Amino acid sequence: MRAKVLITAALLVTLAATSPAFAHHSIVAEFDPNQPITFKGAVKKVEWTNPHIYTSVEVTGADGKTLVYRVEGGPPNALFRQGWRKDTLKVGDIVSVSGIRAKSATSMNVGQATITMADGRKIFGTGGNRAASAEYKE
Amino acid sequence: MKVRLTAIASAVAVAAALGVTSLAPALAAQRGRGAAPAAPAGPTPRMANGKPDLSGLWADPYTPNMAIRAVDPETKQPLKFARQGEMLADAIDPKRTFDLPYTAWGLKKWKEYDPVGKGDYAGNCLPFGMSRNINAPHGLQIIQNPDALAFLFEQNTWFHWVPTNSTFKWPADLPEAWNGLSVGHWDGDTLVIETKGFNGYTRLDTNGHPHSHEMVMTNTFLRTDSNTMQHTVRVHDPKTYTQDWMNVRTWRIKPYPDVIMEYSCEENNLQNLFDGAIKVWKAPEDDDR
Repeated sequence: MRAKVLITAALLVTLAATSPAFAHHSIVAEFDPNQPITFKGAVKKVEWTNPHIYTSVEVTGADGKTLVYRVEGGPPNALFRQGWRKDTLKVGDIVSVSGIRAKSATSMNVGQATITMADGRKIFGTGGNRAASAEYKE
Repeated sequence: MKVRLTAIASAVAVAAALGVTSLAPALAAQRGRGAAPAAPAGPTPRMANGKPDLSGLWADPYTPNMAIRAVDPETKQPLKFARQGEMLADAIDPKRTFDLPYTAWGLKKWKEYDPVGKGDYAGNCLPFGMSRNINAPHGLQIIQNPDALAFLFEQNTWFHWVPTNSTFKWPADLPEAWNGLSVGHWDGDTLVIETKGFNGYTRLDTNGHPHSHEMVMTNTFLRTDSNTMQHTVRVHDPKTYTQDWMNVRTWRIKPYPDVIMEYSCEENNLQNLFDGAIKVWKAPEDDDR
């Protein structure tokens, strides 16, 4: 339910300022910097794949309906070297997510994302300087 | 102490690059994984034949934009050229500038580079090319014997083999290649690698700085101690640039338990290609011949 989504310009500015520098496909082609999104939900799945990992997060709306967002993260090798592991997030963990929506209205992908765990740790840094550039990053 | 600070600085840099606002995980990871600080720098390791041994897993600086620190190859001072810094409002990306000494052909290539609209070979997981492989953020392994040296790029698990024995000759009829063909020789303790025979499909860096199939790229490697490599890359491509230019970089050894890891960009990008999120790349029109 997108009613739980909070849209803030400040978030976009923050993302642009702090966005990391890894990605492997077009940022602008897939994601819309003008659609920032934040939500809280439960981890359903972690896809530990190159060149980005994806964390599926289930969100329950006010009407009781659920949505599953697919949150893009950084490259797995770089995340591994930071100490993150495939099982750092467990299915069912409650996380907060901030990022930007995909351009496609049918896509549930979220890019330029930061996932915050219940204990406050920010995890799985995203994979691209998305808001700032149309570049392809390695 | 210097080495310890370097390791911490590297962790900070990686954390910053990945947008991790707290450094605790990165630093804790170093401790948690038992990653000892890099050993104090010792003398340059050497092969039995006395030549420097460049073997090791190296952190080579991620360089998405080679123009930023382009220097004059002779003076090593910042590059100076006509029209420097001029905005290119008619480029696909109007934020691009005249940031390298382009020829008319090179400028056209720089202006029209359109990875979003036309697809980019890198997003299609095709070989990045020698320059962009070295520029990538994931590090690389060097293995070496007296007759040759191999780069094992973590980026997409690619490799590049460089003969260093002067008696070796590449077959003259080999086709042009994404990474080109390299030959190495020693100039004292410096390994000099000259690469040419490019297919012309690649870009020098993530930002898309162009080169032609005629480019001759010269990389030098000087291992100054056990932990450090001085690296230069010189671009000679009169079709694209009116003068040669160079980058100068410092590589650091990546101590165990950091190891080279497998990397396959197809894991995700294949589906992104099928879904249309990444445009299918097509070889450019053959205006480079």
